[in-house]
Amino acid sequence: MSAVHDVAHATDEHEAPYEERTRRNRLGLWLFFFSEIFLFGALLASRFYLWGDTRPHLDQTLGLITTSVLLISSFFMAWSESAIKHGDRKASSRNMLITALFGTLFLVGVVGLEWGGEIRPTDGVYGAIFYMMTGIHALHVLSGIILILINWNLLRIGRYSTERHWGIEATASYWHYVDVVWVFFYPALYLIGTPV
Amino acid sequence: MEDKKKAEYRRNIIVFVALAALTLIEFFIAINLESPAVPLFIIALIKAGLIVNYFMHIYRLWQPEDHE
Repeated sequence: MSAVHDVAHATDEHEAPYEERTRRNRLGLWLFFFSEIFLFGALLASRFYLWGDTRPHLDQTLGLITTSVLLISSFFMAWSESAIKHGDRKASSRNMLITALFGTLFLVGVVGLEWGGEIRPTDGVYGAIFYMMTGIHALHVLSGIILILINWNLLRIGRYSTERHWGIEATASYWHYVDVVWVFFYPALYLIGTPV
Repeated sequence: MEDKKKAEYRRNIIVFVALAALTLIEFFIAINLESPAVPLFIIALIKAGLIVNYFMHIYRLWQPEDHE
């Protein structure tokens, strides 16, 4: 029993402090973001190679609304992270739920409404690129919503504090990254090129 | 502490308003210009820069939290 205790104690002693682990985790997360640039960059390159200076006819109003919804969700996620950093658990929790709600609205706009519009996956290069770009992005939004809900629950049961909230920071960074991707996808899909 | 909190909230609001304004500018540029690709790409870069710096806090990679 004593040996087990000694081993456990030794492990604790050799474990890096929370701040150091957070620094390492942060670096790992940014390396992951960097690796994802290749995926989204390839999609963007395909769009410009195959569509050139044209684009499919898409609902401009819906595009602007879904973009705004994602932007608003990012604001609430930033608010949630700031709140936990300053000890306001209630505001952090509330804003995480609002972010998840706006994320869901974004999915309803893109997958629910835009996918039900004129363009079909079988419409040649236009359908293929449009569905691939919005589909892979939507998958990231969906995984972001799941992460937010997991972290909301962890916050609710008291796993996060002002000093220790890496999970919320990581989720917020991931959510903003998904927003950054859409910052480039929105003009590429909706604004650049002549509608055909 | 309270001042820092207020300053951070204020900064988040300013960044959000800037991003919203840039999105509207993008929309109107696309409607009014014949070939808007270059200005739209520049605006997208500015928007991405704002998000990466102010919302994703990229500087935390090389700077301790206390120095924010």
